[in-house]
Amino acid sequence: MTQTGGLPATASTGSGTGSLFDILELILDRGLVIDVFIRVSLVGIEILKIDIRIVIASVDTYLRFAEACNRLDLESGRKAPDKLSDIVGNIVEGGARGKTEGAISGALGAISDVFDRDDDEDK
Amino acid sequence: MSNTSPAPAPGPSPAPAPSLYIYAITGSDHPLRLEGLRAVGGVSGALRAVTGGPLACVVSPAPPELRPKRRDLAAHQEVQERLMADGAVLPMRFGMLAPDDAAVVAALDGRRTEYVGRLEELHATAEFNLKAARSQDDLLREVLTESDDARRLNERTRDGGGTYADRVALGELVARQLDVRRGLLADQVVGRLAEMARGKVVASPAGEDFLNASFLVERGRAEEFSRAARQLAQGYGEGYDFRLRGPLPPYSFVA
Repeated sequence: MTQTGGLPATASTGSGTGSLFDILELILDRGLVIDVFIRVSLVGIEILKIDIRIVIASVDTYLRFAEACNRLDLESGRKAPDKLSDIVGNIVEGGARGKTEGAISGALGAISDVFDRDDDEDK
Repeated sequence: MSNTSPAPAPGPSPAPAPSLYIYAITGSDHPLRLEGLRAVGGVSGALRAVTGGPLACVVSPAPPELRPKRRDLAAHQEVQERLMADGAVLPMRFGMLAPDDAAVVAALDGRRTEYVGRLEELHATAEFNLKAARSQDDLLREVLTESDDARRLNERTRDGGGTYADRVALGELVARQLDVRRGLLADQVVGRLAEMARGKVVASPAGEDFLNASFLVERGRAEEFSRAARQLAQGYGEGYDFRLRGPLPPYSFVA
């Protein structure tokens, strides 16, 4: 469990990278919008709105899930050897996420770009 | 003043370039301690309030090029946090611009009753956002342990056995089970915390997360709330990852 909160003593930089990333959608997608004001179209916001939930809908994905199950060692429980989690991890990475992986890495990559660009000049 | 105004262009005149970046609406009786805060765009000492009746709007000169850079997102958030420390605030979404002071005052006047009412409702509250993920390995293991069908299909398809249809059936079954289980987990967690909150907004989780929920919590109960969330997280234990962020400006409760 991690928690951050910025009030009031640590308000100055309550937003570390991890924390800022977790609340990014709140800052970009929620909050008050007053229609007579101009909502600037910002690079990076539209791609953030891409639904990056794992879409479980294709036969290909089903097959990868089946493969992941086949490779699970049920006897050893969750203390399975590292090697096993590596294998499953890879499959999940390349398989279950297959259909959306491009979108995921695309969105995250683009946001990191935007994030990183001004770091040097920042502090 | 007429000597500084450009002559009206013939035909449709272009809208004036927006000159103000908008952060938040507060009551005009808010202390508005803006000194020392960075503005979006990087200028310090550039924040000020535009007041209209019982309301005030915190603004700064609009940066020439507005993009969601880390520095600017953090500046936006820090302004909200400072304002929130001293009173109720209606946080704006990142990236709102207004042409000038007059437009801001007009916007405040236009919905004065609504904004004043919302500020009262949000008085002494804060948003807490909770995201949670569960290890997919553990979920798969659980499905195979608890579903006879899944286990049977898994045994049949191991080591290259079974038919193509068996493998698809196993995958489909497992996929559906993952969805169901993630949904149940989310409902469970939200149910346990919602009673301590005045409001909740449940959004679609991203990536491996099964939960992305925001709670509107009274400041007097903030400690209690985050303690409860922590205990809940501990109860779930290994294989789960809970991230609680707060107290935050009530972004999810102003629309």
